[in-house]
Amino acid sequence: MPSAASNDRIKHLFLWPAFLVVLLVTLFPLIYALVVSFQAVRLVPPTPARFVGFDNYAEIIQSARFWGSVQVTAVIVFTSVAFQFVLGFALALALHHNVPGATLYRVTFLLPMFLAPVCVALIARMLFHPVLGPVNDLFTALGFEHVPFLTNSTLAISTLIIVEVWQWTPFVILLMLAGLQGLPSEVFEAARVDNISAWRRFRDLTFPMLLPLSIAVIFIRLIEGFKLIDTVFVLTGGGPGTSTETLTLFAYNEGFKKFNIGMTSALSFLFLIVVIVFGTLYLAAAQRLTKRYR
Amino acid sequence: MQSQGYRRIGFFIALLWLFFCMFPLWWVLVTAFKPPLAVSQNATYIPFVDFQPTLQAFREALSGVRGDFAGPIMSSVIVSVLSTGLAVFLGSMAAYALVRFEFRIRLLAGLAFAVMAIGGFAYLSQGWGIRVPYALSLVLLISLPIAVWLNGRALPGPVLGNNDVTFWFVSQRMFPPIVSAFALFLLYAEMNKVGFRMLDSLPGLVLAYTAFGLPFAVWLMRDFFENVPVEVEEAARVDDIGRLRIFFQIVLPMSKPGLVATSMIILAFIWNEFLFALLLTSSKWQTLPILMAGQNSSRGDEWWAISVAALISIIPMIFVAIFLGRMMRSGFLAGSIK
Repeated sequence: MPSAASNDRIKHLFLWPAFLVVLLVTLFPLIYALVVSFQAVRLVPPTPARFVGFDNYAEIIQSARFWGSVQVTAVIVFTSVAFQFVLGFALALALHHNVPGATLYRVTFLLPMFLAPVCVALIARMLFHPVLGPVNDLFTALGFEHVPFLTNSTLAISTLIIVEVWQWTPFVILLMLAGLQGLPSEVFEAARVDNISAWRRFRDLTFPMLLPLSIAVIFIRLIEGFKLIDTVFVLTGGGPGTSTETLTLFAYNEGFKKFNIGMTSALSFLFLIVVIVFGTLYLAAAQRLTKRYR
Repeated sequence: MQSQGYRRIGFFIALLWLFFCMFPLWWVLVTAFKPPLAVSQNATYIPFVDFQPTLQAFREALSGVRGDFAGPIMSSVIVSVLSTGLAVFLGSMAAYALVRFEFRIRLLAGLAFAVMAIGGFAYLSQGWGIRVPYALSLVLLISLPIAVWLNGRALPGPVLGNNDVTFWFVSQRMFPPIVSAFALFLLYAEMNKVGFRMLDSLPGLVLAYTAFGLPFAVWLMRDFFENVPVEVEEAARVDDIGRLRIFFQIVLPMSKPGLVATSMIILAFIWNEFLFALLLTSSKWQTLPILMAGQNSSRGDEWWAISVAALISIIPMIFVAIFLGRMMRSGFLAGSIK
């Protein structure tokens, strides 16, 4: 713990290198981008920077494609995080109560979250191939042949959700399991002695005790989910049309296909504001929820 | 017995998940050994029964006849190892400082810094037409010392402590990365124009990824250092051993498990990272994820080749997962969640 005597100068030597690197790489470019977001700049064809005030921002807010990408991102993120949390919590409970083969599961269950999302998307592309993929075999057996998983907009979004659930449920398992292992076992012993049913033990003890952790886990997953680009980039490329285009992909396309730098900068700042507002609201709501449980 | 029923449901869910989780991995493993015919006619599942496995795809990939594989693999290895090392090194120094020393930062000084930096940059680059990289470094050189000086004055307003500094580091990860990645791309492009090669270069990538890994390093290492007993350090300080020597010769060796775990997590993040690599590289320093994203369009249905590429990127991560799975059993993560 920091004590009064430990205020030597050397502490700056420890902290400053890391501080400077983060400042240089993540914050300083932001200043530049902030200035650019109020200008009309194009790389191709090159046009000189011109100050346009809030025009870029206004244009984005009026564009249907922007709202489309907001909707796509929200649908994918909220649905997949809901599934991830329920499944992950259930599996963590199963592992915690040592279902047969728990040691094998511990390693295999972790694996998906350590794979590159690009790689996962490539595998998913093979699996969901409408003619040659194994999922097609399964659906053919069920009586639906050649389902266009990746070229129908509703199905493509569902496929993306499945891929996200596959990859990130392990993260929920990992953290919820760690949380379960940290719970005081005496309370549960006492409840068992008192003959309280397993469901009530879960509802009245485990769930409320893990609520703060659950809120944190869901928060991390939501924030990470908003960043989604690689899976979509490989799996559908945003298509068909722009029906699976996420916010990050939209920003990328604006910047690197249209070379409209001012717009992309403005867009990324809007994105940042949305994330900050959402995060604040979520944390405020979470705080009220935890208070009610106490 | 009722809880027996729950156990059975749990077992059933776990089995289902095991299948759901492992099938795609099985698929990519066997597909890498498939001859073209086993891919293009129908879905095939079991080697020797459904098809005759062949090493053709591996030979093609390793000999480089179908595009350069070795290049991206090498650049992925170099970039991720270098940046992980730097991030863990700088991050644990910062984490140690945040655990053992007290920092006081006046909010007003921080705000003054932001205002000076943004205003100064807009003024220099717009009003004076100074090139972007020079304008930025000028602004940094001027406003940072002023902010540090202001921090020493008795300014009114709230004072931020160590937890706020930690939060500042961690909050860098909450930002959507497209914001800083795109901004960094613009800045690197400007630096290329004035003669510093940062786009598609090793220093550029390593710098970006070091900053990318630093928030994790600070956050995770802080928990490990908090568990290192202070008494040992105090004894060393009585013997008049300098802080730096204490850190490198006592604290770091004592937190070796934490260092290894943190490095592995950061290594996995950097190895798999896509967006920064997509924006900041174009040819020479392309990393593995970029190569793989390209596979998709360049070889459509050549699934055996795609699978080999995927396997190459998966294999190191299997070791990471096994290692962290072991650490998880020994309860190492229980400490880092609070």
